[in-house]
Amino acid sequence: MSRYVSFRDFDWLLLIFVLMICGLGVTEIHSATMHTKFAGSHIKQIYWILGGVGAMFLLSAVNYQLLLDRIHWFYIAGVASLMAVLVFGQKYLGARRWIKMPGGNHFQPSEWVKLILILSVAKYFADLRHRELSWPDFIKAGAIVGIPMLMVLAQPDLGTALTYVPIAIMGVFLGGMQWKQGVLVALLALIGVGAVFFVPRVHVLKSYQKQRLTSFMDPENDPQGTGYQVEQSKIAVGSGGLWGGKGSQTHGAFLPVPQTDFIFAAFSEEHGFVGALGVLLLYFIVLMRLTQNAQTAPDRAGTFVVMGVVAVLSFHILVNVGMVVGFMPVTGIPLPLMSYGGSSVLFMFLALGMVMNVRMRRFVN
Amino acid sequence: MASDPNLGKKSRLYLMGAMLLFWCIAICGRLIYLQIFRYGSFVKQAEHQQQRAIPLSAKRGVIYDRGGHELAMSVLVDSAFAVPSEVKDLPTAVSLITRITGDDHNVVLADCRNHKTFCWVARKADDETIERIKSLRLQGIHFQKEPKRFYPARDLGAQVVGTVGMEDSGQSGIEHAFDDELRGRAGKMFISVDARRKWFSDVEKQPEPGQSLVLTIDKNIQYIAEKELDQAIHDTQAITGTVIVENPHTGEILALANRPTFNPNRRKEITPGALTNRAVSYVYEPGSTFKLVTISAALEERLTNPDEVFDCQMGSIVYNGMRIRDSKPHGLLPVWGVLAESSDVGAIKIALRLGEDRFYKYIRAYGFGQQTGIELPGETRGMTKPVSRWSKVSIAAISMGQEIGISPIQLAGLISTFANDGVWIAPRIVAGKVEPQGTPQTVAFHPGASHRVISSFTAAEMRSMMQKVVLEGTGRKAILEGYTSAGKTGTAQKVDPATGAYSKTKYIGSFAGFAPLNNPQIVVAVILDSAVGLHQGGQVSAPVFRRVTQQVLEYLHTPHDLPLAPNHQLLAQAKVKDNDLDEGTPDHPGEPLETAEVNGDSAQTGKASVASAPKPSAGSEGSVVQAAMREIETAPSAASSDHSSADHLPADHSRADHLQADQSTASASAQPQLPATGTVVLDVEQGGIEVPSFVGKTVRGAVEAAQEAGLELEAVGSGVARLQSPLAGTHVAAGAHVTVQFGR
Repeated sequence: MSRYVSFRDFDWLLLIFVLMICGLGVTEIHSATMHTKFAGSHIKQIYWILGGVGAMFLLSAVNYQLLLDRIHWFYIAGVASLMAVLVFGQKYLGARRWIKMPGGNHFQPSEWVKLILILSVAKYFADLRHRELSWPDFIKAGAIVGIPMLMVLAQPDLGTALTYVPIAIMGVFLGGMQWKQGVLVALLALIGVGAVFFVPRVHVLKSYQKQRLTSFMDPENDPQGTGYQVEQSKIAVGSGGLWGGKGSQTHGAFLPVPQTDFIFAAFSEEHGFVGALGVLLLYFIVLMRLTQNAQTAPDRAGTFVVMGVVAVLSFHILVNVGMVVGFMPVTGIPLPLMSYGGSSVLFMFLALGMVMNVRMRRFVN
Repeated sequence: MASDPNLGKKSRLYLMGAMLLFWCIAICGRLIYLQIFRYGSFVKQAEHQQQRAIPLSAKRGVIYDRGGHELAMSVLVDSAFAVPSEVKDLPTAVSLITRITGDDHNVVLADCRNHKTFCWVARKADDETIERIKSLRLQGIHFQKEPKRFYPARDLGAQVVGTVGMEDSGQSGIEHAFDDELRGRAGKMFISVDARRKWFSDVEKQPEPGQSLVLTIDKNIQYIAEKELDQAIHDTQAITGTVIVENPHTGEILALANRPTFNPNRRKEITPGALTNRAVSYVYEPGSTFKLVTISAALEERLTNPDEVFDCQMGSIVYNGMRIRDSKPHGLLPVWGVLAESSDVGAIKIALRLGEDRFYKYIRAYGFGQQTGIELPGETRGMTKPVSRWSKVSIAAISMGQEIGISPIQLAGLISTFANDGVWIAPRIVAGKVEPQGTPQTVAFHPGASHRVISSFTAAEMRSMMQKVVLEGTGRKAILEGYTSAGKTGTAQKVDPATGAYSKTKYIGSFAGFAPLNNPQIVVAVILDSAVGLHQGGQVSAPVFRRVTQQVLEYLHTPHDLPLAPNHQLLAQAKVKDNDLDEGTPDHPGEPLETAEVNGDSAQTGKASVASAPKPSAGSEGSVVQAAMREIETAPSAASSDHSSADHLPADHSRADHLQADQSTASASAQPQLPATGTVVLDVEQGGIEVPSFVGKTVRGAVEAAQEAGLELEAVGSGVARLQSPLAGTHVAAGAHVTVQFGR
């Protein structure tokens, strides 16, 4: 443990690719907000990225083992902060997601809870030494993720809540889930979703969430309402063509929130198929590099931490890009590293800090 | 290795990687589908929603006179429109704008509420209005250039040219009759807004400008007709009046003036009555001018000859129990005398010899009771009854121009038949159409249908008899200076709409004739309705004929066929006593004789006003004509005079208009001065200099711009140019004055 930890073992290559994605994000934010009231967002985004990089270095310096040992405290703090949001949160657009911090900033606890959950799940499965997962293990793992997830759902913030799911799935999947368990849980989930969605008496989903889902299934039916966003996004992506266009969808404010959730649409419109493919390739490289880091982790906990990051990151990408191209309903999940937003950027760099942390200690054992 | 928990984990890692890869491939496939296969459709969708389609009105065709002068043209002016969904506070914005434009606030607001994407708020407004709206800096209010109809000649030929509505659709006159040709095809413009709040427009479909029309109207002749008609209205207090100038050989209408009239540029001030083109739509009882039909028919049928003497029974005849009296008793009169003195008794006797059927045949042959087919809307057929519906006294009434309704254009057609050697020719007012292009174009005028009514010999007899009307009869006020002339007077009582009986105070005085006698260049018909005081055709209309004909012949450089009379003779002519011209108003069939007696007094009451009525002397008129001609000749023109050959008499080769006599036709060489089968050479480019827009310029900038354009600038005020006259886009002569008003 006392072995000298050097930043020479830092994954500089990964950082370079990550910063490339961030750079593309910043230019697109600049372009998309150029003449709107959000003008100048790209500068803020740069500050967030710089701050994120700093936080990443700081976090990577703290041994993740130490963090894992104290994870129960972090978990309690995370749940408490979610509780605080529900009680004192700022209501904005019908949901309490933020706590107003002194200095005018808004803090969204559900983001950093994601990080805590990655660590919690990693710790939980690292401590399990069975080859196969038993049902109680399974349910406990589900509870670790489920409690904060329900609290986020209550905000309500379906998108963020959903991002917790892949952490759990990745955990149980790598933690020795049996196939029959997987099938059973998948079936239960399907029935649950079906019940929530199709049985009118069950009011788990808010009506706007239902609407998002219905309009996802039939977007043309509601082109000016919720389906409007998906349609606009598809038009933006489609009119980009092979090499991209002038971006009139983005600049004409037809594309909703082009600097955050729909940044991939804005980017695709301006840079075309070639540009979009380039971005996807960068993400793929990053994910592959992360997976490689997971394999070289010094211990089981390290692998779980890195794979948790991979799970969250890939889920974000899949859902966001899927939404932009019309594969998935609008859920309000940003594209990590590209979308504008301090919480999202900070989370990603902290998560990367965790990955670096693990990597830098790969020769420790 | 089997016990290593990492083993299972590793294979599962690969599985996860594979799923990730699958997802990536799916996304890539989707991107290919969206961005490559459906690219076109999405681009179209994007454009569709990012842009607002605005109909782009086509530039309406120009209406030219035969010389290529614009009578109606379109200039680009600003219109303001709202994109209501962009306007923050629609009612306030609309009320601010309507306060400037003076439009009804509620109407505009309702319109804007009904059209979320596009709604006009100020159409074709003047520069000042637009500037004031612009200065409001309202969000969602934008501006678009639109063609606005402009009539550079103002009220010249107003009823002929006609008017357009706000959407530039023709509403009257040629504008209406040829709306399809003039209108062109509207284009489509897409206006889109980007995040810069800057509008950029994409014209998807260019508007196709409409065809231009060339009228047979000659602006200068029209001016003469308008001016003299104005004078006549002023002198006689007539309520309406019409002057028609026609080329008898081709049927080309050279001028067509009506009173009351209007300035088509001031749409709001136009009264419905002024829009009426009385020349084609007004039905009136012709009175004595119709005796030409009676007598020419009898001559053609060889039932009489000009020198046969009729007993006019001292102005009284009883026919089928009805007594008809001439206002002036005549004894024995030859046929030419019947015409010259306008004896009703004589006309009735001649008509009786003709018989109803033959008489009716000639009435129809002269074009009465049917439309002439002139290219003007609202043409009447007149009112002629078939013989089967004639009463037993109808033949007598019609022989002197009662019980029959004709239009002024039909009268011109009748006179043209005599001037054109007995061939009736349909009057035409549109020479042809030209495509809008900058290069000079030749328009060939094709005369309308024609048919022989009377023989050339009879026509010659009629012409000389009509000359005697002027020289010795009721038409002595139509004697010209240096030209022979011929014609016929007519006076008819109007039917009082209140009683259905003939009015005793309202008369329609007309004179229709041609000149010169043996080579008629023009036919001129003058009709004045309800002249106050003097009202007889020979008294009120013949002077108008004289003034118009004199000036038009001089303008056309028609060679004089009489020596110019010394001035004292002219003065003598001018003093022809009005009561000498009394042709009498005929008695009225079906009216008690006692009341008919009153007619004789009308001339007496007329005398009182003779002295007060200003009569311009013939001598001074001549100089006016000369001055006018000089002005015309200095107008910028590239008249093609090279076509004038030996048989083209004039010494003057620089005609102001761009007419060419087509030498290939026989009639053209016979009438060298008029474009007999007229080829109109239309030079679109040489219509003058286009006035630039000075608005927004400083005094110095405006002066420089004016110098560059070759115009004289008259600056009023100081500061920035606000208003200008004429408007930008107007064509004016080189060196013309442009008044620009400056303000802060």
